[in-house]
Amino acid sequence: MITLKSIDRDETLRYLSGSRVVMNAGMEELLNICEEELLKAASPKYLYITINTDNTDLIIGESIKAHLKGCSKAVLLCATLGSETDKLIRTAQVTDMAKAVVLDAMASAAVEQVCGEVEKLIISDNPQSFLTWRFSPGYGDYPLSLQEEFLRILDAPRKIGLCTNENSILTPTKSVTAIIGLSNTPIESKRKGCASCNLNRTCKFRKAGTRCEF
Amino acid sequence: MNFNDLLKKEYIILDGAMGTMLQQSGLKLGEIPEALNIEKPEAVIDIHRQYVDAGTEIICSNTFGANGYKLKGSGYSVGDTIKAGIKNARIAAGDKALVALDIGPIGQLIEPAGAMSFEDAYQYFKEEIIAAEDADVLFFETFTDLLELKAGVLAAKENSDKPVVASMTFEKSGRTFAGVSVASAALTLEGLGVDALGVNCSLGPNELMPIVKEFTSWTELPIFVKPNAGLPDPNSNTYDVSAEDFAECMDKVIGFGTVKLVGGCCGTTPDYIRALKAVTENRVYKKAELKRSTAVCSGTTAVEISEPRVIGERINPTGKKLFKEALKTNNIDYILSQAISQVKAGADILDVNVGLPEIDEKEMMVRVIKAIQSVVDVPLQIDTTKPDVLEAALRVYNGKPIVNSVNGEEKSLSTVLPIVKKYGASVVGLTLDKNGIPKTAEGRFSIAEKIVNRAKEYGINPQNVYIDCLTLTVSAEQEGCGETLKALHRVKTELGCKTCLGVSNISFGLPNRPLVNHIFLTMALQQGLDLPIINPNDEDMMGAIRAFKVLSNIDKNSADYIANYNEIKTEKPVINSAHVTLGEAIRSGLQTEAAEITKEMLSKKDAMEIVNGELIPALDKVGADFEADRIFLPQLIQSANVAQACFEVIKAYLTKTDAAPVSKGKIILATVKGDIHDIGKNIVKVLLDNYGYTVVDLGRDVAPELIVSTAIEQDIRVIGLSALMTTTLGSMEETIKLVRNTPELKSCKFLVGGAVLTKEYAEAIGADYYCKDAKESVDAAKRIFGS
Repeated sequence: MITLKSIDRDETLRYLSGSRVVMNAGMEELLNICEEELLKAASPKYLYITINTDNTDLIIGESIKAHLKGCSKAVLLCATLGSETDKLIRTAQVTDMAKAVVLDAMASAAVEQVCGEVEKLIISDNPQSFLTWRFSPGYGDYPLSLQEEFLRILDAPRKIGLCTNENSILTPTKSVTAIIGLSNTPIESKRKGCASCNLNRTCKFRKAGTRCEF
Repeated sequence: MNFNDLLKKEYIILDGAMGTMLQQSGLKLGEIPEALNIEKPEAVIDIHRQYVDAGTEIICSNTFGANGYKLKGSGYSVGDTIKAGIKNARIAAGDKALVALDIGPIGQLIEPAGAMSFEDAYQYFKEEIIAAEDADVLFFETFTDLLELKAGVLAAKENSDKPVVASMTFEKSGRTFAGVSVASAALTLEGLGVDALGVNCSLGPNELMPIVKEFTSWTELPIFVKPNAGLPDPNSNTYDVSAEDFAECMDKVIGFGTVKLVGGCCGTTPDYIRALKAVTENRVYKKAELKRSTAVCSGTTAVEISEPRVIGERINPTGKKLFKEALKTNNIDYILSQAISQVKAGADILDVNVGLPEIDEKEMMVRVIKAIQSVVDVPLQIDTTKPDVLEAALRVYNGKPIVNSVNGEEKSLSTVLPIVKKYGASVVGLTLDKNGIPKTAEGRFSIAEKIVNRAKEYGINPQNVYIDCLTLTVSAEQEGCGETLKALHRVKTELGCKTCLGVSNISFGLPNRPLVNHIFLTMALQQGLDLPIINPNDEDMMGAIRAFKVLSNIDKNSADYIANYNEIKTEKPVINSAHVTLGEAIRSGLQTEAAEITKEMLSKKDAMEIVNGELIPALDKVGADFEADRIFLPQLIQSANVAQACFEVIKAYLTKTDAAPVSKGKIILATVKGDIHDIGKNIVKVLLDNYGYTVVDLGRDVAPELIVSTAIEQDIRVIGLSALMTTTLGSMEETIKLVRNTPELKSCKFLVGGAVLTKEYAEAIGADYYCKDAKESVDAAKRIFGS
């Protein structure tokens, strides 16, 4: 079980695309309130499973091939903050939109944090392996529609209540699916970078002259 | 043998896992298990047979995921898969066991958590049930959302007469993934008339014990329990409880009473079932003691009517101009804010009435019920005079609600009570009939008695009838108050029913109404009033109830009272408005001050002058700061909300003086079909609202047809669309196309936005304005409307 004790502030502010804005007391207070409520509502859950990369239907397109180059095994993972988090954000959208925006950004940061924790577990399960970074359906030319297949293999609807809808949107919405390659040799440093991101023309970070960590 | 005969036995043995057994026989990860019914029937029959040999008396078919959503693209139809599944089970069962159609969740989340509508879920279940004419029992299991399960049970009841059993999957916390409590599951399923209910999956028998125990205090129906073989090891996917330990634990579970059907879920095998059979042999069934009094619930929260509970009365257009306006303009957010504020003020239950002659009450009621239950946890009371509206609301309600109301007239009794029974609700009984309200307590009591007796004839337990002895205006009929209270007391003591009462009518026509109201409330509580229908935002009324609970030894150690009044409420210091300008108040997020300044200004200045000369320029300044990265987005929104408060002041002033409300133009906003990310659209809405535009918000996952019909009906020619996913951009294009192809709407202008949208794409699909953020949507609106 993963329990979050705090939520990454810098990451939250980055999602709010305000990394260049000077913090003030009002904003600080709003962040504190939101963090407290979100930690109460979030119920992080995750699943992961190791697969052989030569015997799977999940390798579709060039991006994933490049990503898993040299990896004979890979880990499929999914994580979610649960439906209470969605409800918290939904309710805030009625009562206090400013709070809703902060909660939304903070929940995105939180689910990434959960993935980070899961990655630590994967590392401890595979002490000899080298790990690629997390690659998700929708990156590069890797089809978003594979989300459903990921969830089916992980039995996620039944085990942690994570589903997709007909348009491959994950529900609860603050959720992630990803694949991590496991290699016996060090991973050749491939910068993920904007070029392999399908948001590169519209990205709010790039518009603001910064970058995400992708 | 049929299910009811089987129920006469002391205990009934169910089967164990199907998935576990299929995996052992070579099913690969991600493969569709139900396809094996057709591809390898022998393998499936063999597993069933092993269970029958172990003692199973009801075999569940291998059809857990055999629904139209999960089978899409598999090459197999629902009908063929289910018929084959039942046939396989039947071959194995012979005359030793009954065959149940196993029905699992559809596989996508139902609204509001997901995008599947209640109606779609119903259709998927209906398709399965119709295909299962050869089954003996319909067996719903592993559900986590009560509303989805309700859609299934209704589909079962309305399309077949087979027995229905239903179970949900709980976590250690005692709730399902969707937050459903044991009490809510038990109250709702029992109300819907299932034949047995229970728990399965997710936990082992040991961890399930407290959950089963809780079930026994909420239902008298036979309970069934199908635990996993302990907890899974995430790496090996094996389970940690042996067949012997499993049976030993289940022995204790059976000991709680009321548990009648037992089996296993993930990780269990025929060995577990054999061990289970040994435990139940020669054992006499017993029922646990039922502890609950009457209760109602939402999907997450049960409210026992064991002490005075407040029903909030504010969701009702009667006498409320702003509320009527909200209904006419589809302003659901206004209604939701009324719901949330009442719950914050302490309401236990909310009355919901949206009856207004100018609107489609049925459609509005369904929308409002769905929306309210997506943001608050309290149970609802459905308040309408129309049976079709009532039934539509009861279908989509998640939990066990109260129906408001039935009365002593034959026509009312014979239309309302069958609906109440079908959906398992509680009902308010008004003590009036075709002759009106009897003057005397005796007259009202005898109508109450009649309602209770008729309810019994329809199979409604008198526990679920809440009698309203009706408050009359004391300034018109002074002796009436005593009669109401006398009737209330008799109903409570002689009929044993719970009572409710709308309170504030009492003081109509008198000065200082709140004083009369709260004294009357106190008198009624003393006579045994259980459900006062009041405005919970009225501090004196809530105070009277809290104090009553202390004085009548209900609020133990005055804990609730102290929690409410111990801290002197610290109000934010109000800055003397003489020292701040409206612009400064907006920039600094000072809502109260800004509203005060606006009020003052209205006595000196014209409303439009305030809007255009003060509010808009102040908002523009904040908008420029946001664009220049001087403030965060939430701060922009906070300023917008302050402006909103100022607009509300102006709107209320104009509504009072009957002047036309300030609107600079009407805009439809919607998140396109298939997309459920609506936060961006909602930010745009806040800003447009605050710049004085009238926004008709159609919500998320909106069908193009609804946009077209709304634009025509409300004569709107500006439409804002949002889509957040590459997969839903197609819906945006489709919507624009449909609108453009509608002759009346040729001149429509489109604003579009969303994370994955680009200017080029926006142009390609024929949008007029690409808005990269909320601020740009305001700029676009200004260009379109010229201000």
